[in-house]
Amino acid sequence: MEGFLGFVFDLAVVILRVLIPLLAVILITQIYSSLRHNRRNERPLIMLLDEDENRAIPVLYWENSIGRSKFSDIYINDPAVSREHAVLLRRDDGWIISDVDSKSGVFVNDEKIEGRTHVYLNDKLRLGTTTFRIKRTEEFSGRTRRSWFFFADGKSGVSQVMLIVLLTVFQFLMTCETCLTAKALETGVIDLSPFMWFGLLAGLSWAAYLITSLVFKRVNFEIETLALLLTSIGVILSVHQSARQTLVQYVSAAAGIVLFEFMIKFLEDPDRIGRHAKWVYIASLGLLAINLIFGKTQYGAANWITIAGISVQPSEIVKIGFLMVGAASLDRLQTKRNLFEFLVFSALCVGALALMGDFGTALIFFATFLLISFMRSGDFKTLILAVSSAVFASTIVLRFKPYILERFQAWRHCFDEPYVWDTGFQQARTLIYCASGGLFGVGIGNGCCKQIFASESDIVIGIVCEEMGLIISIALAVSIGALVFYARAITTRSRSTFYSISACCAAGLLVVQLSLNIFGATDILPLTGVTFPFISAGGSSMVSCWGLFAFIKAADERTYAIKKAGLFASADK
Amino acid sequence: MKRVLTRSLLTWFLAAAFFVGLGYFVVRLVTNAEDWAQLPMNGHLSASGLGTAGTIYDRKGVVLAESVDGERVYNSDPRIRAAVLHTVGDDSTSIATSVQSVYRNDLVGYSFLLGMGLPESFRSTSDITLTIDAEACAAAYDVMAANNYKGAVVVYNYKTGEIICKVSTPTYDPNSPPKIEEGDDTYEGVYLDKVLSAAYPPGSTFKLITAAAAIETIPDSPARYLYCEGGTIIGGEYVTCVEPHGEIDMREAMADSCNIYFAELAVELGSDTMTKYANAFGFNKSFSMGHNDLKKSSYDVSKADTAALAWSGVGQYTDLANPMHMAMICSAIANGGSPTNPYLIKDVSSFFKIGDIKAGISGENGDKMMKSATANKLADMMRYTVSDHYGDSMFGNLHVATKTGTAEVGDGKEDGWIVGFVTDEDVPLAFAVCIENGGFGISSAAPVAKAALEASAQALNN
Repeated sequence: MEGFLGFVFDLAVVILRVLIPLLAVILITQIYSSLRHNRRNERPLIMLLDEDENRAIPVLYWENSIGRSKFSDIYINDPAVSREHAVLLRRDDGWIISDVDSKSGVFVNDEKIEGRTHVYLNDKLRLGTTTFRIKRTEEFSGRTRRSWFFFADGKSGVSQVMLIVLLTVFQFLMTCETCLTAKALETGVIDLSPFMWFGLLAGLSWAAYLITSLVFKRVNFEIETLALLLTSIGVILSVHQSARQTLVQYVSAAAGIVLFEFMIKFLEDPDRIGRHAKWVYIASLGLLAINLIFGKTQYGAANWITIAGISVQPSEIVKIGFLMVGAASLDRLQTKRNLFEFLVFSALCVGALALMGDFGTALIFFATFLLISFMRSGDFKTLILAVSSAVFASTIVLRFKPYILERFQAWRHCFDEPYVWDTGFQQARTLIYCASGGLFGVGIGNGCCKQIFASESDIVIGIVCEEMGLIISIALAVSIGALVFYARAITTRSRSTFYSISACCAAGLLVVQLSLNIFGATDILPLTGVTFPFISAGGSSMVSCWGLFAFIKAADERTYAIKKAGLFASADK
Repeated sequence: MKRVLTRSLLTWFLAAAFFVGLGYFVVRLVTNAEDWAQLPMNGHLSASGLGTAGTIYDRKGVVLAESVDGERVYNSDPRIRAAVLHTVGDDSTSIATSVQSVYRNDLVGYSFLLGMGLPESFRSTSDITLTIDAEACAAAYDVMAANNYKGAVVVYNYKTGEIICKVSTPTYDPNSPPKIEEGDDTYEGVYLDKVLSAAYPPGSTFKLITAAAAIETIPDSPARYLYCEGGTIIGGEYVTCVEPHGEIDMREAMADSCNIYFAELAVELGSDTMTKYANAFGFNKSFSMGHNDLKKSSYDVSKADTAALAWSGVGQYTDLANPMHMAMICSAIANGGSPTNPYLIKDVSSFFKIGDIKAGISGENGDKMMKSATANKLADMMRYTVSDHYGDSMFGNLHVATKTGTAEVGDGKEDGWIVGFVTDEDVPLAFAVCIENGGFGISSAAPVAKAALEASAQALNN
């Protein structure tokens, strides 16, 4: 196109280039703003009244450890009480006390209990020589602290409909830019078919929103909006790459949302997994075993199995099982302090992945294992022991298979000969195209990075940075990185340590994975070939990321808020 | 649950590492983007990488390089193409100091802020006008090529700093860059702009510095007479002269290029004084010209014995001089002690100008090299060399003050030098020519200087 019309289109493209990152930044800010707003005051749920000493101990959390240890949530200075004596839990059907292998036992209304026992208002609890009566909180007038993460004002943030509207506008603008490629501007032939994908994506987003708000009656939609934003970027960027890939991304995103909703439902009872852990172990190890036996080596790693023409990456699915069996409710953590089962399971997972040659995923599992085991035990010794044995094992492996190192020789030298033509090829191109994109990108569909091998997965940051610019790339990376702060802020507000642990570790896992992806592609770390959550091509990865987000969503007490109305209602308002 | 909260701090370490890494990525990208974006494997660059780049003109508006239909096209005259190769550059970035290497981002309109994908209407490529004169370069190149000389020629306006003529050989045609085999001598140093990036033993041209040191330090200099019998033993080593010059003063010694005279001066002055004056003249110092650094000239007598010191005073021993720097010394002599800094970029045109290409445009005076009286005395001696010894006809109609040099470089090879300036008021040109293995400077370098000066003078007058 030439002349004035050409100029108008050029101007439109420039405006779009600036508007899209701007909108993404606004959307991400709004998502987090909403996550930080709208919180109930962290007031005690019930109280334990020590009638002898006439003092009231507030019960702040859904799960509270009781014991002589100073770090207990409810600390009792009584020599007859064990350091870890009992756990007082809140469940949908009321309050429960659980003896966690104390020496002197727990007595409810003077009867010694075994395992979990329901307790009710005005019940008498005896631990050691201390006696409590369970009371409502009206009588309590203390102040409680709140996390820096949450706004203090109690005002409600942006409405959730606004988030989904912003998301739709973002999807629309991105689709517009997708149509206005340099080639389209030059020839004047504008292909509008990407708008089909806009329709499908917007439809999926609104459907997800309406279902969660109308059917599941959930009020909040921030985590889903973030996942949908990332998913949309991945889907639309792939339009110019391969039609099949776009379809796979879209279908697996839909499947991911289904898994997400299913998991929210399934995780509603935090004890459910504890009862079925065995099956998760078996299923996870079974999947990895099948992968090891039948997996075909593809691009250096044998981490794929193909069933009826569909390639699946079992390790992605196992991530979810890994978090499920890793986390547990507080009383389970304290009665089963032994990490042995989980340790063996983790070693098997990491070992299997290393055998497949998928060192990136093996590292992700290992880092997640460290997080989980530390959050469960708080034991630095376990941490140090695990790291040193991993280092030892790697040294042994490298001693016998030194050629593994050759894969990583280009690290920090990707522009040097000869690496720039072989093992450093992708990293050098990623950096070149990141540089070519500048702050606002060269426009969707105008990039060259997509012609590089594995650009849609391992080095997708190259495509995002090149076609959409550095600003949005950093905004997206930060939006995932900041989940760690969110997950940690809701730790004590979660309905169970099962959620706290799984959410923190899911966020940690995503950050480790994102680090390996971005820093591997940009030659800051060795290139290991893991995916950028939601954006990289790959059905298994997409589904798995939605599953990981489900852990984070489940940890937010608001997710199940509708269910708890009516139960000790005074505590929640 | 409090305990789980405390333990979850571990995730912050991960996040902190991630954000630090992200910051590192951004900083590294922003600082290296301009280099990375211009790498030849970048698919956004056309085959030549310059397919949409701006035009490069010489001082008179002659097109040296331009882009037509996505192709980089160089001047139609093969002489000019070869002569300005090291100044303009070729499609590659092999010649690192060339305009097309150093200012490639400006030429193609790239900045990290905007990236490479601006639509046609918004693209801002820069056109660059250089100070050089294509014909003057070609004239110097013709003489070099006719004699198969390798070396460097530079002529610049010592009042304004504009470089008029700048040629480095061996050279090639940017339209057909040669494939250079390992060990092929024909193209030795071909990617080096020898004017900027080479340093040669200065030979007798260094006597200017020894003379300046003596004039400012020794009371009866330059009038003092010394006796040259064609050779003498200094510090146990025999220092030779071309011929016995007899009883001579400094002016005669300069004109005859007597080794004995200046070797004995150097020994008398001592290594400290010699070093002090060499440093004042810019030896051992980095000069930059626009965005390029000149190859450092060096003078180091810290480990020299008496004989070595003597040789260092006549530009041998380990002395090295960069041709552009030698021309700057001549400009200082012509200007009464201070050199004028040379520059190459006359003008840059572009709509959205981001970057600081204009930093290359200068012409200010550099640090004073010598006292004004010293400069005048040296100027007289250099002028006397031509008017009394070589004859003014050597430079056509121009009145020139020079110092020639013949530097031994080992294996019986000698580089021929001529440096100096034009004394005519309306032709303020300083110059330096060095011909590798050219033998006597007067016979090898001087004819090149003549051609370069005459054409440059012509360029100034138009």
